[in-house]
Amino acid sequence: MSDYGSDDFMLDDSEEGFEYSDSDGDGNGEGPLAEGGSATGTQPSQAQHTQTQTQGEYSADAAFDDDDDDYFMDDSGFEPVLSRRNQRKPWEVDFKVYAQDGLSAKQDAMVSRLEPLLALSKETTTLLLRCYFWKEEPLLEGLLTDREGTLAKVGLPEHPPSPRIETGNDAFVCEICYCGGGDERYLTLWCGHRFCSDCYRTYIASKAQEGESWRIRCAAPKCKTLVGLEPARLVLAGDAAALARYEENLTRSFVNDLDTFAWCPAPNCEYAIECQVPRSAWATTIPTVRCQCGKAFCFGCKLDDHTPAPCYLVDWWAQKCHDDSETSNWIKANTKECIKCKSTIEKNGGCNHMTCRDCRHEFCWVCMGPWSEHGQSYYSCNRFDEDSSKNARDSVSKSRAMLERYLHYFTRYNNHEQSARLARRLLAATEKNMEQIQREHTLSWIEVQFLSEAVDVLSMCRSTLKWSYVLGYYMLSDNQKIIFEDNQSDLEMATEQLNELVENPISEDGPSIEEFKRIVIDKTTYVRTRWETILADIIAGLQENRWQFEAE
Amino acid sequence: MAGVPKRILKEIERLHNDPAPGIDVTPVNDSIRYFQVVMAGPSQSPYQGGQFKLELFLPEDYPMSPPKVRFMTKMYHPNIDKLGRICLDILKDKWSPALQIRTVLLSIQALLSAPNPDDPLANDVAEQWKANEKRAIQTASEWTKKYAM
Repeated sequence: MSDYGSDDFMLDDSEEGFEYSDSDGDGNGEGPLAEGGSATGTQPSQAQHTQTQTQGEYSADAAFDDDDDDYFMDDSGFEPVLSRRNQRKPWEVDFKVYAQDGLSAKQDAMVSRLEPLLALSKETTTLLLRCYFWKEEPLLEGLLTDREGTLAKVGLPEHPPSPRIETGNDAFVCEICYCGGGDERYLTLWCGHRFCSDCYRTYIASKAQEGESWRIRCAAPKCKTLVGLEPARLVLAGDAAALARYEENLTRSFVNDLDTFAWCPAPNCEYAIECQVPRSAWATTIPTVRCQCGKAFCFGCKLDDHTPAPCYLVDWWAQKCHDDSETSNWIKANTKECIKCKSTIEKNGGCNHMTCRDCRHEFCWVCMGPWSEHGQSYYSCNRFDEDSSKNARDSVSKSRAMLERYLHYFTRYNNHEQSARLARRLLAATEKNMEQIQREHTLSWIEVQFLSEAVDVLSMCRSTLKWSYVLGYYMLSDNQKIIFEDNQSDLEMATEQLNELVENPISEDGPSIEEFKRIVIDKTTYVRTRWETILADIIAGLQENRWQFEAE
Repeated sequence: MAGVPKRILKEIERLHNDPAPGIDVTPVNDSIRYFQVVMAGPSQSPYQGGQFKLELFLPEDYPMSPPKVRFMTKMYHPNIDKLGRICLDILKDKWSPALQIRTVLLSIQALLSAPNPDDPLANDVAEQWKANEKRAIQTASEWTKKYAM
């Protein structure tokens, strides 16, 4: 999609994109702090450490001076189409994927930026930043108001001496291994405590094994001085595995300590994601990010992509489903509720004269009215229309209706989840189909791509539909909800039609391959357009508080 | 790590030549990692006069990780639970490899003199200690008589 490089019309796009993120109030327009070495490219490339992406599309904010593309400027016919394709969609957010070395570069950049500003050594700056969870403002404020106190916090002087491993001190005895003498190599931290370098190596290596890094303190009892990165690296120099572990912990703590960074939750994935959407915006924006490894997840709750339902609704829903979904079907089919205390009662035999075990209320199983009014007509209830039994039924049916309402939404939610799973299987089948069509109709590989594209669109729609039912469940009824549901049912219908088309691609008496291809492409385009419209509308609706959501 | 067994031997030697008052450390079965300890209850405490048995084990990576210590004698103390496990910071996150068996045992002895019911391990004891200290001290002293003399 970015084969055209970047032209002036793409500059427009990225500006629009940034405008959007600024309206979030996240200040994304300024971009990440240290762009230094990080490459933002127009071509997907493994070689780059970091990439700015908007939902898998590589952003085009680099290389504006690319002369080769000038002729596109004249070809105004392409312009609207291309700009629409590269524009960030309203439901997408800016994010960046970092590999390990990209993370190190990012940390270095943050330190070097602040180092001259603070007039402190690199080591001290690094430790201070880490102590302040990489938040520059409170750190600067702390240093301005109480420089000494703030430095005391990390237990480091402004310019700590470079650590050296020394020998030749006959009086030296290491307090850890009790070895000593002139041959013993030892390290003195600036707090004055000295231990032999072997013991320090074992000490730091064992702490690193526990996941510690910069928080490791001097080995002397009760000493609060941080060992610091430079001395640690110095003593670990002989132990490559421990050093690697230590460095890994440093990076790990960097990502964990920053609110704007998170690890990709996919198993064995080592990428980290930076996303500037603030926590306060998570109720109206769904910060969906896509890792280099392909995993799409929500930056807020780290669960799988749940666009367009905001995190808090997903949380409510997860709890609700956890409590209810398995049992509620059975309860609905087999039980009634006591009119008085709402205990759930299963009638497993006997007559219609029920006595609630919890509140001792006596009632009739058939009409749900109080038993006392049944008088002589035991065993055959003919009191259906009496007021008291009617009221009783009303209250029961109300709570049943709530259950049924939940099941309505849950069944649809669940159905889309299962269909999405089937869609993945469909993808495998589709690939086979594509090969078959290729063979039978002598088409090129690129000419049968329409099928896999259709399946992609299908999966996206399934996921969106699934979560839209969660939105619907908590949405209070009003005219706006009716519009929402109309949109939802439009997309649902179109999705089902597309699904049916793709599932039975070619039949003997069906349309010709050209005709079939045209139908699928048309339908795919239509579904995609519906999908985009609905997502954009939902996000806009969330941001302008168009709907009211209520927990139960 | 070559120096570590040497360290343990050295500690044992020092404990033998210069024992800490009221603390007796004996290696079990000539092991250099497992010890039987007998600690005298500190004076001016409800544990006075008692002889408390402990077991002390030095894990493989000692002194990088702390020794494991447990009371074998039943006692009534807010920071020591029914199984004799001890809640003491230097046995956990405040451990430093420059601490020794001797310093650990002295710290435990100090814990007997100064119970800390605000950071309890045995919740029922700690509650009693806070609600009615006099009564708790009396119970501790009764337990000492019953189990440690």
